[in-house]
Amino acid sequence: MERAIGIITTNYSSVNPSELTASRPAASVPVIGRFRMVDFMLSSMVNSGIRTVGMILPYKYRSLVDHISRLKDWSLDRKQGGLFFLPGTAFGSTRSDARFLIRDLLDNEVILEKAHEPYVVLAAANIIMNIDLGQVIEAHAASDAEVTMVCSEAKEADEALLNLKLDDGRVRGVSFGVEEKDVAFLDCCVMSVNSLRGFLAAYKAEDYLDLFEAMAADMGRLDVRPYFFDGEALPVFSLQAYYRNNMKLLDEGMLQEIFNNDRPIQTKAQDIPPAKYEAGSKVKRSIVSGGCQIAGTVEDSLLSRLVIVEPGAVVRRSIILQSCVIGAGAHIEDAIIDKDNVIPAGTEMKGTPEAIFLYGKGSAF
Amino acid sequence: MGKKECIAMLLAGGQGSRLGALTRSIAKPGVSFGGKFRIIDFSLSNCANSEIDTVGVLTQYRPYQLHNYIGSGAAWNLDARNGGVSILPPYATESGGSWYAGTADAIYRNLDYIAAHNPEYVLILSGDHLYRMDYRKMLEDHIAHDADLTVSYLTVPWEDAHRFGILLTDENGYITEFAEKSPNPRSNQASMGVYIFSAHVLIEALVADAANAESEHDFGKDIIPMLLADGRRLLAHHFDGFWKDVGTIASFHETNMQLLGHEPEFDLYKPGWPIMSNSPTRPPHYVGPKGQVEDAIVANGSMVLGKVSHSVLSTDAYVAEDAEVIDSVLLPRARVEAGARVVRAIIGEDSVIKEGAVVGTGDATKDIAVVGNMVVIEGSR
Repeated sequence: MERAIGIITTNYSSVNPSELTASRPAASVPVIGRFRMVDFMLSSMVNSGIRTVGMILPYKYRSLVDHISRLKDWSLDRKQGGLFFLPGTAFGSTRSDARFLIRDLLDNEVILEKAHEPYVVLAAANIIMNIDLGQVIEAHAASDAEVTMVCSEAKEADEALLNLKLDDGRVRGVSFGVEEKDVAFLDCCVMSVNSLRGFLAAYKAEDYLDLFEAMAADMGRLDVRPYFFDGEALPVFSLQAYYRNNMKLLDEGMLQEIFNNDRPIQTKAQDIPPAKYEAGSKVKRSIVSGGCQIAGTVEDSLLSRLVIVEPGAVVRRSIILQSCVIGAGAHIEDAIIDKDNVIPAGTEMKGTPEAIFLYGKGSAF
Repeated sequence: MGKKECIAMLLAGGQGSRLGALTRSIAKPGVSFGGKFRIIDFSLSNCANSEIDTVGVLTQYRPYQLHNYIGSGAAWNLDARNGGVSILPPYATESGGSWYAGTADAIYRNLDYIAAHNPEYVLILSGDHLYRMDYRKMLEDHIAHDADLTVSYLTVPWEDAHRFGILLTDENGYITEFAEKSPNPRSNQASMGVYIFSAHVLIEALVADAANAESEHDFGKDIIPMLLADGRRLLAHHFDGFWKDVGTIASFHETNMQLLGHEPEFDLYKPGWPIMSNSPTRPPHYVGPKGQVEDAIVANGSMVLGKVSHSVLSTDAYVAEDAEVIDSVLLPRARVEAGARVVRAIIGEDSVIKEGAVVGTGDATKDIAVVGNMVVIEGSR
């Protein structure tokens, strides 16, 4: 396989800032029980043989670094290469649609300078997907393209995604926001290290722009080609998409697609016992993480680690994040409960499928 | 290398022959337990939690999977630069080679490992016991009493006493008599096979024992009686937590079941003493639209599409729709296919119970059914 380094950018905000992203960067939002958004791209890179990854950090990097810092979990504790934490510019991009801020890449050009590998995979961290990047790198290397952009047909409108205008197998234009069936850029591209350095030099004067925003005007003369990814790709840039895409994972086929055994998604290993169901538990169509203790009813829901559902409590169509306690007889429906919340016995907390109720991190009830 | 106060020597070479099919391909300390753990996790975690950072693991029977699992010891934070885990299998010397002849012989032949760390005290452990224990308390006891050897014991039911090394103590807690697996035990104070030796006493005793042609080279049968006869100070240290040597299929099954229920005696959910493991990173488990799970432990990566009750499902276990798993233990990656029924059984790693097959019976007078690792049980059609 052709060799590449990886760069993951995490220095951007989310489209609809909510309490979920108030305390953590979009890349470290917890998802599908025990995972964080960044796990998918980081694992895809490692599974594709990438051994050097630079991660451009956001201003509020604590939760992200805490999650990644035991590099052994990702086999990135290398003597040569491994993971490099790269500083993002102060306060980063306040925009969610600029995921590849030129200034961030310029500031960290040293990782490109030192790379022995010919190619670089440049990606953001807010799409749930498990992609074989080796195939993308090979397709790129076999073509004459300067840039290969991974894309797929949009399944729904999303204002945060980059829309690719194709003509004759080339990307001829880009704009922000996709409608259903548009070609959506999956925030992942391959180019040679030299090409990227060339772009950075060329667009130096516009370093406040997103790389692709800067390139938009030159798409006519550049050889930029799409690579259609045929697997599942679930973008998470808003609270609505967060809820909807977590719920999509409540399906055996979808789980097997994302958690393909040949390309395991890694995450922080923690020493907690498996989940325990006690007498009287009723659980259907749910994802349950380690350390949970369930005596109540859970349906169509996702539970992160160490959630306790007491006897008589009911959780439906909801996402309960780490270390929450759902008190005896409490009813939670159509809700997202952020971590470390204790919901007192008998409480009712209900949203509707149209308006999901979000209960913030460690809220005082 | 710097001097260590206390190092541990962990005996992990036993076959565990009474576990039958479960230990055909892996040594007993490597057998999966409690969903995500392997038996050796408990001793290694006890070491790490007790701040013992130097552990020699003595292996012999079917060692590959166990060696692979222990790796660098990083999973238990035992990959410290000055110490960490060292795997110590039998080895050849210029005068030839042979297997470890007994627990004492295994340690004797690794005296150079002990010498390299030059500890004041040596903790001897078994890699196949399930318990949470702070060895620091035992060490404090040993030091405070200026003992030569401290033996940890627990009080067992009289009817079980014949299975253990039984000790008698004087009013100050010193051991006056010790009898290994006596048919007529004189007390119900049972040794747990956890010993702390002052290092020089251990070395002298092992050297003397090695020269004794009559000896079986066993701590319980030979070393402890010899030290008692020599008038050494042997202290008894009482342990009052949960401790279990899962020697048989029945006790393996029973001990797994003892993890179930609300706040059981052996409570893995009690914080403060994490049991660490080198289990693979897998997604959370999934319960399907027709799944039913009650009174069970279910590890990551599992898929429950059928019915599971009063059971332990290990990492990546699979229960298909219309399949039933009752009073059973599924080891990692065991699959129970559609319409199959597993009752009072242990299904080995990577084994498959095919569509419509039945394993085990609810008849409590019958033995627990066991399917070994990588076995396919065909259904009757």
